[in-house]
Amino acid sequence: MADDKTNKPQNNQPDAQDDIGNPTRRRALMMGAIGAATVVSVRPALAQAAGSVLNCEIPMPHAGQNIDAAGKLVPADTAGSFPVMGQTYSGEQVKAALGGRSLPGASYEQSQAYIRYIRRLQHGQSGFTCFASLQMPR
Amino acid sequence: MSDNPVLYRAEAATSLIIEPLDAVTLVYHIRSGITHIVAEPTPQILAAMADDTLSIHEITQRLSRQFDLGDAGDAQAIIEDRLAELADLGLAARVAP
Repeated sequence: MADDKTNKPQNNQPDAQDDIGNPTRRRALMMGAIGAATVVSVRPALAQAAGSVLNCEIPMPHAGQNIDAAGKLVPADTAGSFPVMGQTYSGEQVKAALGGRSLPGASYEQSQAYIRYIRRLQHGQSGFTCFASLQMPR
Repeated sequence: MSDNPVLYRAEAATSLIIEPLDAVTLVYHIRSGITHIVAEPTPQILAAMADDTLSIHEITQRLSRQFDLGDAGDAQAIIEDRLAELADLGLAARVAP
């Protein structure tokens, strides 16, 4: 891919034969100096952010309360609600669930309820920043 | 320095996107997502290495066929310096002889 742009030396390159009889044909390479760094590296902040987003965690509430289908915390004996045990989901798992997959170890309905709970997280609640960053466009 | 047994191999050309940009060259390393802005002679060293495992002396010889490197001893020391830099960046690997 880069070959044609970077003048990969070929054994049959004319310069290789000509350099004794015609040394001026070789361009002087700007060699710089020993110890003088020639590289500046640009690490994209976006790529780093994307990595950290997928590794962040969203904790579910501890056992004692359940989450109903609308994502609200309800007493543990509420019909149609789903138990939680303080489990955490990674940003990547939540992102996949937002795309239609189920959270690991959860049925489809259970997963939908958990996702609705996560969507309702407020600023300051654990997991909010992680969830908010999943919403940011890449 | 001249008999340094260390061998180097450049990162595969398919994992690099190299774009000359005026006086510098941008080297985008696909695996790391990092763009390196390099100056001569670094892009020329990468190009000269091609897909081969080479000693510093061999790389210097290849470059000298294409370019006027000035004082040969200095050139090899500078190329050695640049190769160490490339290895630190992950753009080349040191290979055991």
